[in-house]
Amino acid sequence: MILDSFKLDDKVVVITGGGRGLGRAMAVRFANCGADIVAAARTVVQLDETAALVRNLGRKCLTVPTDVGKSDQCDAMIAAAIKEFGRIDVMVNNAGIGEDSFGKPIEQITDEEWHRGIDVNLSSQFYCARAVIPHMVAAKRGKIINVASGYGLRGGKHNYMYACSKGAVLQLTRSLALTYADHNIQTNCIVPGIFPHNEAMMKFFKGGKFIPIGRPGQDEDVGPLAIFLASDASNHVNGEMIIIDGGGLAGGVVPTGVAPGNPA
Amino acid sequence: MADSKTLPEGLKDFALNGKAALVIGAENPLGRVAAITLAEAGAKVLIASQDAGTEAALKEVAKTIETTGSKVLIQVQRAALRADLSATVDLAVTKLGGLDIVVTALDEPLYGPAETADDSAYDRVFESNFKTAWMAFQEAGRVMLKRGGGVIVNINSVLAERGVPNATLYCAAKGAVRNLVRALALEWARRGIRLNLLECGWTAEEGSIALEPGDFSEKLIKYLPYRRLLKPEEIAGALLYLVSPAAGCVTGESIAVDGGLLGRG
Repeated sequence: MILDSFKLDDKVVVITGGGRGLGRAMAVRFANCGADIVAAARTVVQLDETAALVRNLGRKCLTVPTDVGKSDQCDAMIAAAIKEFGRIDVMVNNAGIGEDSFGKPIEQITDEEWHRGIDVNLSSQFYCARAVIPHMVAAKRGKIINVASGYGLRGGKHNYMYACSKGAVLQLTRSLALTYADHNIQTNCIVPGIFPHNEAMMKFFKGGKFIPIGRPGQDEDVGPLAIFLASDASNHVNGEMIIIDGGGLAGGVVPTGVAPGNPA
Repeated sequence: MADSKTLPEGLKDFALNGKAALVIGAENPLGRVAAITLAEAGAKVLIASQDAGTEAALKEVAKTIETTGSKVLIQVQRAALRADLSATVDLAVTKLGGLDIVVTALDEPLYGPAETADDSAYDRVFESNFKTAWMAFQEAGRVMLKRGGGVIVNINSVLAERGVPNATLYCAAKGAVRNLVRALALEWARRGIRLNLLECGWTAEEGSIALEPGDFSEKLIKYLPYRRLLKPEEIAGALLYLVSPAAGCVTGESIAVDGGLLGRG
């Protein structure tokens, strides 16, 4: 029965950046499918809010305040998850930052801003994968889900750290996928398009009117894709990037809404 | 049929209860899996063939589907004929009460040196793999645009993304469908129709060159990240994700079910 292969009953799912946005939406969706959650992020108040939502659905939630840009903190977070649950079935590398250097001319970006962005967006995914892989190899199964961005596949003005770190996430995904294919560990990548998390971002992205389907992504759109990639339904999907952007990357050589000839 | 009482809340938008679905090429191994998957998830299904003379195969698929409790109908047709496709789409609307989902599982491989391929080879490969898909999308769109939307999934191949020597026309036709899906997805994006592809790795299906004993299949298996061919039933999860409301924000895209092959190649 096909729908049974999507079930995640009693799976243990670690989510970085689990205090808000896509991370929180995924945590709630995983809990709604029967999984227990380990939520990692810097801000304790936000982690507690996510935990309340998960527990309200009858599932367990361990919160681990973590700066994922620091490898020792990633190691400690994975160790805490193993201590609490005894195993990790799914690792979701979702934490990311953009605003520090987004939109600034290159000469105004400091070394610290560059390194901080690369650490949080890219190195964190490497650190968490490195820490979780031995447990998954021992268990002879596992799922790693990395969150990249459409900007990992396209360039943008003044967009250096974000585009570079997210593009590298795609490559990290492929190399993990190929290395651990023999260990029954699947690594895949979610590539979200525009997902505004507040009014300011919604305004910056003009309400998403340039997105082909006519609306920006909502955090809840990503949950089902994460469920698919975490479940047995995707056991032959590996090293793949799945783009969830309302059609954006299907086009791009003319502005959205513009077409030659006389459109219907 | 998906039992909504036992389905976890988080999986409800993967269910297809009450949806009307058409699978074209249901006699093919991947089309067969698609038809059974849609029915298991709750859809009513019209299973139509790619080629004539396939009644027995369709009946076998229908028999399997009947065990799911979902409604199933059969239509033997030549999908390369516009009139047949058109009649099949109309039949789906009449007998299933609508048309929410169309899956095309069309395939005709051709292998051999480019310099010896004659024009009839070109016509045959492009007709089966590309033109038929194009006509099926048009016919589905004719109904879906009027009804306010729908979902189309083309079951395709990793050959849509890469070249393979001695498979020039086949790769070209598969790649043409890939870009057709991009362009058509954009054209219909604001009219409620989503189009996507599944790109299957080398598959263990009857007649596949990957199953023929010899140098090619031996070296191929060692090269595959999973060191084995894809079993047709392993596409079921990705197919269900793409056709269901769970993928409402995904259009013009593809999901490769290949064990990591495209990540390597």
